[in-house]
Amino acid sequence: MLPRELVEDVLGVARRRGGSFSELFVEERTSTSIRLDDGKVEELTTGRDRGAGVRVALGTSYGYAYSNRLDRDALLEAAEAASAALADGEAGDVIDLTAREGRGTNRTDRPAGTFPAADKVAWLRELDDAARALSPHVVQVGGAYGDSLQRKLIATSDGTWVEEERPRIRLVAQVVAARDGVIQTGFFGPAACAGVEFFDRFTADAIGRKAAERAVTMLDSIPAPAGEMPVVLAPGMGGVLFHEAVGHPLESDAVDKEASVYRGRVGERCASALVNGVDDATIANGWGSYDFDDEGEPSQRTVLFEDGVLQGFLYDRLRAEKDAVSSTGNGRRESYAQPPIPRMTNTNILDGADDVDGIVEGTDRGVFVSSLGGGQVNPATGDFVFGVSEGFLIEGGKVTTPVRGANLIGRAIEVMSAVDAVAGDFDTWEGVCGKDGQQAPVGSGSPTLRIARITVGGTGA
Amino acid sequence: MPDLADLCRVAVEAAEDGEAVEAYAEESKRTEASALRGEVEGLEFAEGRGVGVRVVRDSRLGYAWAADPDADEVREIVRRARENAALAGADEHHVLPDPAPWEPIAELFREASADVAPETKTKLALDLEARAISRDPRVTKIDEAQVGDAVSRVAIASTTGIEAEYARTDAWCLAVTLAVEGDETQTGFSFRIARGLDELAWEDVADEAVERGVRMLGAAKPPTARLPVVFDQFAAMSFLGVLAGALSADAVQKGRSLFANLVGEQVGSELFTLVDDGTTIEGPGAAPFDDEGVPSGRTELFTKGVLNGFLHDAYTAHKGGTESTGNGKRGYRTPPGVGTSNFFLDAGTSSRDELLRAAEGGVLIQDVSGVHSGANPISGEFSVGATGLRISGGEPGEPLREMTIASTIPDMLKAITGVGDDLRFFSSVGTPSVLVGEMTLAGV
Repeated sequence: MLPRELVEDVLGVARRRGGSFSELFVEERTSTSIRLDDGKVEELTTGRDRGAGVRVALGTSYGYAYSNRLDRDALLEAAEAASAALADGEAGDVIDLTAREGRGTNRTDRPAGTFPAADKVAWLRELDDAARALSPHVVQVGGAYGDSLQRKLIATSDGTWVEEERPRIRLVAQVVAARDGVIQTGFFGPAACAGVEFFDRFTADAIGRKAAERAVTMLDSIPAPAGEMPVVLAPGMGGVLFHEAVGHPLESDAVDKEASVYRGRVGERCASALVNGVDDATIANGWGSYDFDDEGEPSQRTVLFEDGVLQGFLYDRLRAEKDAVSSTGNGRRESYAQPPIPRMTNTNILDGADDVDGIVEGTDRGVFVSSLGGGQVNPATGDFVFGVSEGFLIEGGKVTTPVRGANLIGRAIEVMSAVDAVAGDFDTWEGVCGKDGQQAPVGSGSPTLRIARITVGGTGA
Repeated sequence: MPDLADLCRVAVEAAEDGEAVEAYAEESKRTEASALRGEVEGLEFAEGRGVGVRVVRDSRLGYAWAADPDADEVREIVRRARENAALAGADEHHVLPDPAPWEPIAELFREASADVAPETKTKLALDLEARAISRDPRVTKIDEAQVGDAVSRVAIASTTGIEAEYARTDAWCLAVTLAVEGDETQTGFSFRIARGLDELAWEDVADEAVERGVRMLGAAKPPTARLPVVFDQFAAMSFLGVLAGALSADAVQKGRSLFANLVGEQVGSELFTLVDDGTTIEGPGAAPFDDEGVPSGRTELFTKGVLNGFLHDAYTAHKGGTESTGNGKRGYRTPPGVGTSNFFLDAGTSSRDELLRAAEGGVLIQDVSGVHSGANPISGEFSVGATGLRISGGEPGEPLREMTIASTIPDMLKAITGVGDDLRFFSSVGTPSVLVGEMTLAGV
């Protein structure tokens, strides 16, 4: 994307006051987004983003500067600005930049960018038709399609040179159902780091139908009960909870700042023995997958919990160097406009041995959660809150009436220690995670699992 | 670098017969410094610019954008927006607003704030951390101490004749402390925003972040009870986002608002007056015109609990047969949509002490979480997690955690029995302390 000589000069200027390394991140991204509302294409937007960020680090201190312009002057100016973060020191060098090849984690034969916009509009129409056909109670259908192709180059003064392309595709359905004055919404929005082959797994038709089913089902909902009770989480949802409540406190910046409940607890049992958890950026075409992270480190599968015992943290370069360990390839950034920070990729609870049906049958009274809304966690205390967007009562070992307005509230270690059943029906959920003002596409996955006791906040009896 | 207004003109000149074209261009220069353990943790410089173009042709809207385009690329953006319009659905309400006179806002751009040396910011960040860790023996470390400022410019031009531009300066600082006692850690957050760094009361940010963390140490889960509740400004602010979403005319027109069909009705208590005002310099969201070039104004959404109307951009106004309230908001990467400027609950007359005395035995809520995920924008039902302090002898006392509050937005607005005189802005939303006569706080 840029001539080698220019890159070397930029890295050199960034180290004019020394530092442990300097880094250049160059990015070009094209994107298409289309919104369909009430059967009409409301918005069709195409964009082209471009920019470069220069970073220089010393310990966990860093300077960062970015520009939209990729000319020599602009890049050298950014390098100089970034270097101003360091106190005066002896200039550092730049060693030979050696290109490394990725394994092609997100390879696609059918990049979305090669398809005409008219095809993309047609996928949205298919989604719309399917959602409306499901039930006469479907009153509104919103569809959103998005694809992007990010091309990036990362070079560092200690010899890294990697280039990677990341294709993304997502189709989202949002449905409103109404009956006798009751209004409910349903959402489904799978995504992948892939091309159009994504639709081999999720058809537009199935996406529309699933969101409509959720909205229509919730029309029969009653206010959720409140209090402590067993909760069974549908496939994927345990992963969402794991990401939020456990994954964030395992990110090494939280640990470094002593703002993590898991600090100093590696090797200890911090979850039920049934919990085996990983963060895995190597899953082919996974929403959070890549060949190299945004610092140029190769992606990997990192074991977080083995039989409930905490194995380690998620590292970027700065925190890894401080702890004298290797980066786990979790340094990610939203774009050239931000420095990388430790982030999750695809965070999964692995399959267990319990029987899916048996888990519900063995629950006398509780809540079955088939879809979670957003959540929040305080990594320092482990306190979290999650909205349940689709849930049901469990009564006498059966999933019965849908419930609305439920929240799951608890603390990470207590709740993960209360997991008392894990099935073998693993599935994933794709989302966008926000941290320090940066958005990152993340995957979360799990089989069906049960938490023996957790606080459900609801408005019902 | 090409001038923003010139780039906008290039786009407008590229319009073909029978189409309406609008270009929105923005640029910003931002610096952020953070401190950790007595050292500069990070120093970030950001310089970005971009142009977004709307083309309306046969009532069809197309949009395209690019970061840092030159004049040729702007013409290319217009061409792509035109292509996109051809595939969009016809909608007669896609109109570009006509030009209208607007008043510049004095002091929105402060020359002195536009060129502060990075060293000043790193020093402020270090001072902020140093103060935060020297106030209380239980706070010896922080999670975040950050100081930043930005200079931004916006230019808009359209085939309807709009040609407008303005510049602004902003500065902010925030602190998150870690209060530790035994095995327990609590966090304390504080934030302030102003037009320039010299106007920031950073000492107060440090002190407040310490106090909000320390006072939560030893928090226990209380028994479930129905009690008077005071929401402090931080907690009350969390609800404003839900209100803003429901008061957008776009949500109303799409049947996604709990306030649809309630105009003219007494929805909230008489103490509840909610305002959007892009002209008030007190709020960080001030601007002379919105992101479609429509002059900013003051819109009283609720007056003494009665719903007056909604926030409009040019599209929703045309659709609703009314005028834009100057609430078309965007960045250059997206077409405009309805958004807030300075959105705030108008200050009342009660002092904070009066509110606390009136809530004797109740709870001062200092933080709520999960409002966005836990509130249904259509029904207004919500269930959120909360932390706070038991009010005893007119003072906040025993810390409480893991409480949940379940109610509906209209029920809560009706139950407001006191509004503080302590209006405070966080980003572009502001609120005073609010007393709600009775709510169920679920604990154990």
